[in-house]
Amino acid sequence: MSQSLAVRARATLDTVREALGELAARDRGGEILTEVRQLPARDAQFAPLPAWVRPELVAAYEAKGVEQLYTHQAAAAERVRAGHNVVVVTPTASGKTLCYNLPVLNAVLENPDTRALYLFPTKALAQDQLAELHDLCQRLNNCFGVYTYDGDTPGDARKAIRERGHVVLTNPDMLHTGILPHHTKWTRLFENLRFIVLDELHTYRGVFGSHLGNVLRRLRRIARFYGSNPQFVCSSATIANPGELASRLIEADVDVIDENGAPAAEKLFVFYNPPVINRHLGIRRSYLNETTRVAKELLGRNLQTIVFANSRLHTEVLLTYLKQAFPAAPGQPETMRGYRGGYLPGERREIERGLREGRIRGVVATNALELGVDIGSLDATVMAGYPGTIASTWQRAGRAGRRSGTSCAVMVASSAPLDQFIVQHPDYFFGRSPEHAFIQPDNLEILVNHLKCAAFELPLAPDESFGDVDLPALCERLAEAGFLHRSGGHWHWIQDAYPADTISLRSVTSDNFVIIDITGGEDGAPEVIGEVDFSSALTTVHPKAIYLHQGQQYHVERLDFEERKAYVKQVNVDYFTDAIRYTQVRVLEIAEQDRVGADAARAHGDVLVRSQVVGFKKIKFFTNENVGAGELELPENEMHTTAFWITLERPLLASLPFSVSDRQSGMFGLLHALESMATLLLMCDRRDLGTAIGERPPSPGIDAGWLEAPGSAAEAQEFFEPNLYLYDAYPGGIGFSEPLFRAHDLLLRRTRELIAACPCEKGCPSCVGPAGEKSERTKEAALAILDRLCG
Amino acid sequence: MRIEKQFAHVKALKPVRKKAGAPRGISPDVPEGAERLAQLLGAECRRNQYGEHLVLRRWFSEADSCVLHPEALRLLAPGAPEEAADQSQWLFLDTETTGLAGGSGTYAFLVGVAWWDAGGLEVEQFFMRDYSEEHAVLVALAERLAERRVLVTFNGKSFDWPLLETRYRMTRAIALPAPRAHLDLLHPARQLWRLRLGSVRLAELERHVLGCNRGVDVDSSLIPQIYFDYVRGGSPDPLVPVFRHNQMDLQGLAALSRKIFSLLGAPEAASGDALELYGLSRLLERRGHAERARRLYARALESGLPAAVDRAARRELARLAKRDNDFSLANSLWENLLGDSREGLDAYEQLAMYYEHHSREPLRAAALTRDALVGLRRAMRSGAIEPGRYRKMQGRLGHRLARLTRTLGRQNGRALFADSSEAPRTAGASDRES
Repeated sequence: MSQSLAVRARATLDTVREALGELAARDRGGEILTEVRQLPARDAQFAPLPAWVRPELVAAYEAKGVEQLYTHQAAAAERVRAGHNVVVVTPTASGKTLCYNLPVLNAVLENPDTRALYLFPTKALAQDQLAELHDLCQRLNNCFGVYTYDGDTPGDARKAIRERGHVVLTNPDMLHTGILPHHTKWTRLFENLRFIVLDELHTYRGVFGSHLGNVLRRLRRIARFYGSNPQFVCSSATIANPGELASRLIEADVDVIDENGAPAAEKLFVFYNPPVINRHLGIRRSYLNETTRVAKELLGRNLQTIVFANSRLHTEVLLTYLKQAFPAAPGQPETMRGYRGGYLPGERREIERGLREGRIRGVVATNALELGVDIGSLDATVMAGYPGTIASTWQRAGRAGRRSGTSCAVMVASSAPLDQFIVQHPDYFFGRSPEHAFIQPDNLEILVNHLKCAAFELPLAPDESFGDVDLPALCERLAEAGFLHRSGGHWHWIQDAYPADTISLRSVTSDNFVIIDITGGEDGAPEVIGEVDFSSALTTVHPKAIYLHQGQQYHVERLDFEERKAYVKQVNVDYFTDAIRYTQVRVLEIAEQDRVGADAARAHGDVLVRSQVVGFKKIKFFTNENVGAGELELPENEMHTTAFWITLERPLLASLPFSVSDRQSGMFGLLHALESMATLLLMCDRRDLGTAIGERPPSPGIDAGWLEAPGSAAEAQEFFEPNLYLYDAYPGGIGFSEPLFRAHDLLLRRTRELIAACPCEKGCPSCVGPAGEKSERTKEAALAILDRLCG
Repeated sequence: MRIEKQFAHVKALKPVRKKAGAPRGISPDVPEGAERLAQLLGAECRRNQYGEHLVLRRWFSEADSCVLHPEALRLLAPGAPEEAADQSQWLFLDTETTGLAGGSGTYAFLVGVAWWDAGGLEVEQFFMRDYSEEHAVLVALAERLAERRVLVTFNGKSFDWPLLETRYRMTRAIALPAPRAHLDLLHPARQLWRLRLGSVRLAELERHVLGCNRGVDVDSSLIPQIYFDYVRGGSPDPLVPVFRHNQMDLQGLAALSRKIFSLLGAPEAASGDALELYGLSRLLERRGHAERARRLYARALESGLPAAVDRAARRELARLAKRDNDFSLANSLWENLLGDSREGLDAYEQLAMYYEHHSREPLRAAALTRDALVGLRRAMRSGAIEPGRYRKMQGRLGHRLARLTRTLGRQNGRALFADSSEAPRTAGASDRES
């Protein structure tokens, strides 16, 4: 049996190698397959089921084929049993759900009053877990109740769930708007709440994580009110700081369990960089076409393959290519399918089943298939573009070869800076995770919004604390603004409105612009097609902008600033628009500062960012030619946030053997590359960070220090001693600045590697930004500055 | 200083209204206006183990409480226990709250209760002069609820009572006495009068059904803000009409209960207008009194109903007549209804059914079904019928027409041996036969 498996595994490995050989055929300089890494199989490490596990639960698990535990499962169960908060860090398919289900269900069996709340970042994940728990429930004679509670839960079922749900599966948004404000209906649950499970912990970072930190503050507060003190059991994909993230979120100590005892099959991990077709401009062959090519090689050898794309549009494009290559036999169902948000649940289930049963040979998916959802084990994964974080790259790769046999994962790089950095620095990817998840639950904007919700849920007592703020002072301000009222020592909510309704966990403020399509089709009714948050509205939906939505182009006809509405019409043009924004940064207060080498300094602190969109350029698709421009008169936007910055002092600049304009250009190029690298270290998106260059002010808060720093043009006046700013693009800051200050050494070294390893001649979008608008010597100058900084 | 600077930029701290007014100082236990309010209202300050609160008691002369026919109670609340009929146990209840959204941050700052006493209505209102007096109000209310155990409300089942349940749970100390029965008048009022009035707001019912006019009344959507302004140190004067509003709600509620119970006590004796009769018949039908409902539908039709309701009434009456096998009545109603309206299309279908299965005139049934299909398409084009309904009905009619066509073909083929059994067959089986 095991021998035949080994034979099959060998055969798969050979097939994969054969496919790679085919791909490598035109790879003369070894520039295409930048890495082929063979990850060996790993044996399982077992531990017995703990003696305290109830016999009926042991029997239920044995009936499912679980007779002993992996070592990490046993360790987690013991730690939870001992009352500790735990975060389990393990890869896909390592049996993490058992880590929390076992101790939770055991506690329910010991005392049927016990209640647990499971939080999943999405509804789909909760549904998937529900199936697993239902199965266990049936094996245990339905002695406990398990339900999902979300926006889809029918009204008449809700009451029963509140009373009878031992395990309630929900998501942070529902907890925030549907459960906490109505906690009196959940008395039974809150009085007996012993466990809170946070699954996919690493997804709670940045804005979403900062919100969740506050939702959990509210949750713990309500639990205290009902006399319970739940412990937390978390699971996370591999990141550099799971323990730190978990304890920041739950504001308590957490035990980290990261020894993985699950077995793993052999896997080939391949980095594929599309060949360069224009070395001068750093242009590579289209990564979508190359992805199709890779997938065809694998599918053609009858390897069941999942292809991941980073957008819905790309999913459809890739699916079209693959359907053409592998048409269904006449009268037979398609063997290539797509899978993304927007497909109906029934269709999704059918595709999942088809994949498990092997009828479907290839599927093109968005990240909708990245987490949880059971599709069995496939032979190969192909990723069209770097998924954005190392953690989710591993999760996608984990879709192939879940149990045994050899599998392969191919990551096809786009020309984005991060993609290029990753494929050219494989050790960075395969080594210890460099990715940190950061949150800032004390962001005032976010905290104050949740404080309102907290006051609505339960009057605030004079001796309470809520995050790291001066609560009485803040309450006083909320009272002045008409939200709270002090009576009998407590602060009470005095608004007719329901605060949670207007607060979205996915953005900092609810100040959004609504996008209205007024093209007027058959029925001619204007239709709301989306929303953009305030900060990006000015650059994406300014008048005359081309706004892209689900692959369709829209022309912005009118922007109603007061009403926060943008009116758009469908168009079909061959250009996109790029807003020209002037940004000014004023340092308000320096939190910490230090030297960088002899002639530079670094700091982080509070800043005021003023920005104004003053015009836009029309850029032609494919050629990137500038085909027109326009001026705009839009209001100035002011934002108080946090920033990390590097000051280049006079002697450093003076020592550079470049002209003034080359030097300036080098600075902007360097900042472009720094931003790319920072998003990698912070696991964030490019739009989460802003950049600017300005003259170093004599001291914080001095207005004289104002200087313009155009985002792209390098023709500004010469800087004497410039500050290169990387700021949090959210009011109040989201916790990126201090980590950047601490990691500046790593940031500078990695940025240097990024630029140095880029094969372009004079700078390209993958390193210092597109050539053309910058000086010929941008790349050179940026590297020279980095040399001085890295000493 | 630094905090102040930071606060200045936080959008979430922006005042909600242009002039939010300054919150009052921490000094007194209750807002400055509290004393003046008590004077204006003639209310007294009472104290219990949880502290002080304001109580206002008033007696309003009223016609005698109605004689409650046990039948009326069964019609109104079929599951209610016998003791619900004991009017000395009735407690009318209505609250004024700090919002309509519900959730644990919505307070009932004024709770009014009332009961019939000495030939009139005794009204008692409990008011929290500030948020700190909520527990005192809840204890006082609990005493009243314990004395009279049958709750009578208007929309209280889905609003006032759940809100109070939340308030009591929030105290973690004060128990809320559960009523033995809860009679909510919103649903019966809706059944009886919505067609006539469009809206069944209490004040509307008072004006049009009870024939009394409230006069000047406060707009209830403004009530939360009036209270907020007062606790933040504003004038107490605007609260006086809020108390009166609550009193009027309770009086209206008591009068409405009298009206509903006398109507339900003797539905056949009702002399009201046609729409009210129609509402009564629907209520009777829903409670299983088909025979009585039939008589009332007929009376409602005689009294002259507006076109749309007339059609609905005819359809209902025809349905009841069909159930009683009274096809002469049913058929004449249906004949009268034929048309492109929903009821008209149903009538085609009903008549087709009759001619197919009862009088066995397939030719006539087929003609009616064809007319129905034509009418259905017209109705779809004119938007008189929604797509989902259209598809369903089209399917049914198409099926019927196919079956009738086969029957007719068979009859022509073996006219002398016409198969008289109309047992349903599967389409496949009939196909093989023909």
